[in-house]
Formats: sequence, structure tokens, C-alpha cells
Amino acid sequence: MTRRLLVVSFLALAFPASAFARGEFDPSTEFEQHVWVSIHLGPLDLSITKAVVYLLLGALLTILLGLVLMRGTRLNRRLTLGEQIYEVAQTQVAEQGLPTRAIGRWFPYVATLMLFIWVVNMLGFIPLPLTGDTWHGIPVWGIYAATSSLSVTLALALMTFVFTHFEGIRENGPVRYFKSWIPEVPGVMLPLIVPLEILGQFMRLISLSVRLFANMLAGHMLILTFIGLMFVLENVFLAVVTIPAATAFYLFEVVIVVSIQAFIFAALSAIYIGSAIEPEH
Amino acid sequence: MLQTLLYAVTGDATKAGKAVALALGIGLGALGAGVGIGNIFGSMIQAVARQPELRGELQGIQWLGFALTEAVVFYGLIGGLLAYVLV
Repeated sequence: MTRRLLVVSFLALAFPASAFARGEFDPSTEFEQHVWVSIHLGPLDLSITKAVVYLLLGALLTILLGLVLMRGTRLNRRLTLGEQIYEVAQTQVAEQGLPTRAIGRWFPYVATLMLFIWVVNMLGFIPLPLTGDTWHGIPVWGIYAATSSLSVTLALALMTFVFTHFEGIRENGPVRYFKSWIPEVPGVMLPLIVPLEILGQFMRLISLSVRLFANMLAGHMLILTFIGLMFVLENVFLAVVTIPAATAFYLFEVVIVVSIQAFIFAALSAIYIGSAIEPEH
Repeated sequence: MLQTLLYAVTGDATKAGKAVALALGIGLGALGAGVGIGNIFGSMIQAVARQPELRGELQGIQWLGFALTEAVVFYGLIGGLLAYVLV
């Protein structure tokens, strides 16, 4: 047995994996969007791509999760899990950021955000036959997260951005709300501080979207790069190192990053909306 | 030293510069975030050791701080990737 293994390993080393080497390996090709169904409404491009399919799937699963976990009359394990998720959304997300009188209005939004982002992130780590590639007519299975596309996260962040200012103006009136952006500093400093405050409002948009996007992109890129190392160096025996490393990163992403990012996005949305409803001054 | 290294490259010096930019972006970003995350968890351990009953309340703040700090790596990464892809 040992001798046979040695022969096999020698053969594999002597003839590097030309069988599965596909030339230049580039992990970023996994994140390209190809149009699957072309939909054009005037100047609007609403074509269905990989990210759109993942988003629709995520939306469907979120709805199903809500129906399965939250509906029912008799308390059982399924409903207990739903209660736990609800409690995290209420005590950790909504009550941390939103003032008490606004919780009724904005709790549904931040809770949905948390659940939806969690589901879409989680879908990104389940292998699905949606890569768009085929191998001898069989769809190739792969992992891809819709949230690793900047357009998706930017759209989510834009929603929070719009709601923040909408709610700020609705609660305080436009004059009082925009006045709250001007901090109490000596008049000489105002030309310096006010543009920074306005810039800060837009930086929130960038940081909110880029945080989620880059986390998911980097997570997938790490896993892909580690597995791809075998193909770049054309050596099967690297699998001994790369597969456990890729698995470790995979577990780290699934256990920690997916939930943390969903939680953070919802919590920051709640904090931003809450700070617009009750400005400090 | 960087310039010497760049001149020493026989191939495409631009490509080498891009690779250096990418590595610096990730590396320096990770350096700062590592210090920050260590600080957060260190303080959390101290806080829980002193007042164990506050663990639940502190945990939310801890993860918030963790994610905010960790995002710094990715700003570096995005900057590096932009340098790598665009320039």
C-alpha cells in the first residue's frame, strides 16, 4: 500500500496536474457578472445576473424563515429559535440605537435588514449550482455571495441613508434637523467643521456599504486563493496544506463573520436612524 | 530601497509596483486592525473579570467595536486592489 502510494505520488509529481490546470488562475473571475436574462426598461438595465438570482433566493428564504420560525400557536423548539432571533434583534439591535418611541416604527426595518443580510451571507457559503459554468453539460457548483458585489451593499446602505434623513426631517422639521449638523464650536472654526460634518454623513454611506462588501469579498477570495494555490503551482500535494487552511477560513467566515456583519449592518442602521431622530443638540 | 528593488526587476516594473501596493495595503491595514482588535478583546476580558454580570450588555458593544475595527483591514485591501486593478 505504501509503495503504491509512493508510485502514485511520484507520478503525480513527475507529471504536474496538467489534467486540471486551466492556465492562468484568477480568483476575481468568480465575481464577474454575466447577463443571464436581459431585461431593459428604457435606460434602466434590470438584467438578471448571478447576484440577482442569489438576492431573489435570499429574499425567498428570508420570507420562508419568517413564516416558519415566527408563526404558530404552540411553543416548540422552532418557535423558541424564532423568539431568540427576535430577542437579539430587539435588545441588541433596536434598543441599542433607536429611541424608545421610534422602536415601533423602525424595528421591522432593522430586524428585516439583519435577517436578510444574514440569509444572503449564509447563502454565499453554501455550494449551489449557480456559477453559470458547465462541465460536460453538468452545472458547476460553487460559492458566491450577492453581498460580495458592491452594488448590492450600496443599495442596502442607500436605503438606510435615505431613511435616516427622511426620519430626521420628519421628526424634527428640516430647519432643526439641518441645524443639528452644526456643532457648537467657536464661529471661526465653522467653515472647517461644517463641511467635515456633511462629508461625515456621506462617509457613513461608504463605510456601511464597503464594510459588508469587502468582508464578504475578502472571505470568498481567501478560500478561493487557498484552493487555487494548487492550480497555480500545479501540485496536488499542496492540498495537504491548502484544504485544511481553506476549511479553517470557511468555518471562521460561516461561524463568525456572517452573523457579525449582519448584526453590525442592522445595529449601525439603527444607530444612524436613532441619531437622526434625536440629535444631540 | 523600494526604488532599488523596482530597478532590480527585470520584468515589468509597473506590475511589481502594483504587487507592492497591494501587499502594503493589506499588510499595514492588518497591522493597525490587529492592534485594535487585541485592545478590544483585552478590555472586554478585564471588564468581565471585574463585573461578570455585565457580560451580556458588553457583548453587543464588543462585537460592534470588533466589526468597526476589522473593517479597517478591508479599506486597505480595497485601496490595494484599486491600485492593482486600475492604475
